Amino acid sequence: MAVAEIRIELKKGVADPEGQNTKKALELLGFEGISSVRSMKFFQVELDLEGDEAVQACEEMCRKLLANPVIQSYSVQLK
Amino acid sequence: MALDSLMTRKLQDPPVVEVDIHAASDEQLMEMSREMGLSLSLDEMKTVREYFANEGRSPTDIELQSIGQAWSEHCCYKSSRVHLKEFVFAIDHPDVLARGDAGVMAFNDDYAYALRLESHNHPSAIEPYGGAATGIGGILRDVVCMGAQPIALVDPLCFGPIDSDAPLPPGAKHPRYLMDGVVSGIRDYGNRVGVPTVSGAFFFDDRYTGNCLVNVGCLGIVKRSEICNNFVGGAGEVLILCGGRTGRDGIHGVTFASVELKETSEEESRGSVQLGDPITKEPLIHACLEVNRLGLITGMKDLGGGGLSCVVGEMALDADCGAVMHLDRVPLKEEGLAPWEIWVSESQERMMLATTEDKVEAILDVFRTWDVLATVVATTVAEKRTTIMWGDEKIFEMDLQFLTGGPEYCRPYEIMMPQGEAGEVVPNLPANEKVLLGLLSDPNVASKEWAIRQYDHDVRAATVLRPLVGESNDTGPGDAAVLRPLHDSWRGLATAVGCNPWFTSLDPYRGGMSAVDETCRNLVAVGARPHSLTDCLNFGNPEKPDRLGQFREAVRGLGEAAAFLELPIPSGNVSLYNESPKGGALPTPMIMGVGIVEDVRKCVTSDLKEAGNSIYVVGKTLREMGGSLLYRLYGGEGGEVPSVDLEALKDKMDLMLKAMSKGMVKSCHDCSDGGLAVALAEMCIGGSMGASIQLKGLGDLEPSDMLFSESNGRWIVEVSSDHEEDWIALMGAHAQWVGVAGGPSLMIHGGGIDMALDKLKKAWNEPIWKIMG
Amino acid sequence: MENNGVKRMRPEEIKVCVLRIEGTNCEEETHRAFAAVGCSPEMVHLNQLTGHGAASARRSLEDYDALAFPGGFSAGDYVRAGAIFAARAKSALGKEIKDFVVAEKPVIGICNGFQILVELGLLPATDGISDVPTAALFTNDSGRFECRPTYLRNESRGKCIFTKKIGRGRTVMFPSAHAEGKLMSADRRFVDRLEDNDQVVFRYVSPDGRSAGYPWNPNGSASDIAGICNPAGNVLGLMPHPERALDAYTAPDWTRRHKKEGDGLAVFRSMVESLSP
Repeated sequence: MAVAEIRIELKKGVADPEGQNTKKALELLGFEGISSVRSMKFFQVELDLEGDEAVQACEEMCRKLLANPVIQSYSVQLK
Repeated sequence: MALDSLMTRKLQDPPVVEVDIHAASDEQLMEMSREMGLSLSLDEMKTVREYFANEGRSPTDIELQSIGQAWSEHCCYKSSRVHLKEFVFAIDHPDVLARGDAGVMAFNDDYAYALRLESHNHPSAIEPYGGAATGIGGILRDVVCMGAQPIALVDPLCFGPIDSDAPLPPGAKHPRYLMDGVVSGIRDYGNRVGVPTVSGAFFFDDRYTGNCLVNVGCLGIVKRSEICNNFVGGAGEVLILCGGRTGRDGIHGVTFASVELKETSEEESRGSVQLGDPITKEPLIHACLEVNRLGLITGMKDLGGGGLSCVVGEMALDADCGAVMHLDRVPLKEEGLAPWEIWVSESQERMMLATTEDKVEAILDVFRTWDVLATVVATTVAEKRTTIMWGDEKIFEMDLQFLTGGPEYCRPYEIMMPQGEAGEVVPNLPANEKVLLGLLSDPNVASKEWAIRQYDHDVRAATVLRPLVGESNDTGPGDAAVLRPLHDSWRGLATAVGCNPWFTSLDPYRGGMSAVDETCRNLVAVGARPHSLTDCLNFGNPEKPDRLGQFREAVRGLGEAAAFLELPIPSGNVSLYNESPKGGALPTPMIMGVGIVEDVRKCVTSDLKEAGNSIYVVGKTLREMGGSLLYRLYGGEGGEVPSVDLEALKDKMDLMLKAMSKGMVKSCHDCSDGGLAVALAEMCIGGSMGASIQLKGLGDLEPSDMLFSESNGRWIVEVSSDHEEDWIALMGAHAQWVGVAGGPSLMIHGGGIDMALDKLKKAWNEPIWKIMG
Repeated sequence: MENNGVKRMRPEEIKVCVLRIEGTNCEEETHRAFAAVGCSPEMVHLNQLTGHGAASARRSLEDYDALAFPGGFSAGDYVRAGAIFAARAKSALGKEIKDFVVAEKPVIGICNGFQILVELGLLPATDGISDVPTAALFTNDSGRFECRPTYLRNESRGKCIFTKKIGRGRTVMFPSAHAEGKLMSADRRFVDRLEDNDQVVFRYVSPDGRSAGYPWNPNGSASDIAGICNPAGNVLGLMPHPERALDAYTAPDWTRRHKKEGDGLAVFRSMVESLSP
């Protein structure tokens, strides 16, 4: 049994409208001094595998569904 | 805890507690109501005690919780019912086909439409995104359980000022944050579920700070032969619970909706806000409509306020039956829920179906194809009692008439006499040109494009008139949306919202009437004949006599207007306790109207069409400045609230519709917030065309009164030059020529206005984009 | 009669599979669009093709002559627009769909359907059908859902079977409604290669046919591209909704200027023509 944390980030150079708009919204609410906001996705997956096997399974999930390689990169970490 | 001595465990796992209500003192009864979140008064607790004394036993926690739900204001309208009965319920019409969870009205010989408007105020003030999204979910279910396919959403919203940074009362969230969250919630749920959001309204006022109003409306279409009952067919049937699993979300939503919001509401009430799931909802709608179409069910009802505790009893009792519920069969989201939690949970995306034994398998098959859970959970019985079993253990048994009957109150109310001109303070005004720009850029008037473009108003491909009209991406405001629900017919449904909370706060009776007048004007402006209304009455704490007085007078006003115009109100909703630490929210009798369009190809929009066409004002402008945007913006006080002349309104509506059916009208706009000047400017903005206007034919009011008074019963009409003589003959004294369309600016002679089109567009288009980003 | 391996048929013989999963919308109007040009469309749940659900409802993809992925949303688009639908379709039906495309049967993906075709690797497929996506439809530059009328210029030089009746260079109005429609690729020569292959089908323009930026291009898509086809021309993906422009009275400006019919019909008519004598 492993708990994996999967982070899906936008690749460098891909504009991040969600992050930019969130930044704007935060500034509208009166927060000052924000230099940047980046959006990313985070999944926590519990699975019946251990160690490398668990990591490999999660990487497969990223390739099959969770990330589009054109715009997104992924990283998997076991907790 | 002082109550511990009164509690004994009746069942260990899951926990069911028996409560010795008979041994409780008055203080303990009230503590019980508070601790258990029942929101019942001492008198109500005593009535409960008496009931169980007659039964010869003590209640279980699940029984007390069930009563708390059933007797909440939200479920049984205990404070409002007496007034609604007097003024609204009696309006009948042969086209009313059903008054269930949604009203159902005849559309043509084969089809009917369903309509309903409902509030989701308190949850949205705490968690705007989830609150608004679940509001959409709930209203869709109300329409689906009539057997109708939802075809349009309508969302009138009220917030505090979004353009102010004044300090907020403790616990209140910033109106900008609330508006952003609510619009996002409506967008994400409505768009995902594939129902177009075609109409709505935004109202901004400091008295909504800390108590925003989120009203959500829905229209549906159903074959008349497939209109579904919201109750069972009789004893010996089974109830199938379908859709989402049941969890702890939304526990005590209805009792939460029936108290005032407090500073600490957020922490205490997060559990009352449900989480929506449009992706369970969408197939659930398909599956429910399919089993109804196939004739497999005898009744259907959605699980809304009060969850299972309300739906099981109501479905059975409305057919003079009772039910035996197997609560342990309910699919759960998580383990460890107490039976009472399962019973009152308001988890979203659930529906209850009634059917006969022989059809159960066919129903379950349909749900399997759609990947939607469906579980047989109860059977109906002849005796009007509900019994709940957990395995072999009986944990609940109550008389249904006692349980769902609920109390009805005639609480004391106080009627405020409207001050009229006696208390009027006339504001010091800048030049009329400056005033016009000020009114156009007030968020109450300015373009709502920021929100409208985030809503998919075209999905289902049946939207004929949208909320924005004119050239693509260069638009003005529409008056009503029009849909063409059947693609083999040109018959259309129009829908629009009407309400003026400022009129209502100064003169609730005229406010109620004005809401009906405005709704009708909006519908007629596009060429639709008003056909039915539904209302969502948002008022303050009914235990305060002045608030209840406002409610009563507003209901009297709208009821009288609707009755005179023969407009039934086959469904409605009341939201009381709209109070915040700053005081009562503005009294807001929100009306959603539906009109029938004989032929959508003859619909009219508000954008000016052709230079050289004459412009007329229909209806009289009086000096009625009370509650006007002009007074609110420039510091005027009091004043006469616009009156309603129902007879004249009826005549004008008939004539306007006749003129439109004959193609005389090229554009038409309702005249409301900001008066004539704003309405004219909006027609110019939408049409990308100026106009040259003379005030002198309209009467002898001061120019600023003539320009900005918000008298009811008025439209501005552009008349086709080919039909002008016929128009004059038809309208007679109701219409006054005021000028011609065309030119690069809006010139109002006698009003001191000569304003370039670009300036008008900028003033109207930009403010909300700038505020909301 | 045979042509490129596709048999010629009468319009009513053309069976169109309008594919849906939970949370799909726009399938009814897509169905209506095919019916309006005389085809025999059917709304089919993915479960009916994979054998999940009632046996009587079982369908087989190879029995259909055309395939449509309708627009709107699917499965809430929670991971990424179209990703869940694509992943499920690929794992259960990957081969059947690929065979369908290779047989040059018409496939159209509208809005969410376009996103699905890209996620499936069926578009742009400049170097053939790909196992991983080679392009993406990314969040609009505005960061918001955009529901607005959009004007499209037909850029196809003749390869795309869905635009033959529109006329090259003609501008049509199909409305858009999406939050993720910005076409992107990691390949710097992406647009050039699409152009070279005659894969660019529609570009966003202003009503008078010029390239005009936001809001006419509602999402910031590269080179204003709104729709592309595969190198063979039988698979079209586009963000705007032709099925919402079937009659003249759903146009946003119909009270100002009148057309005989909606611009969208031509897309479906073109497909019929490519299969009919």
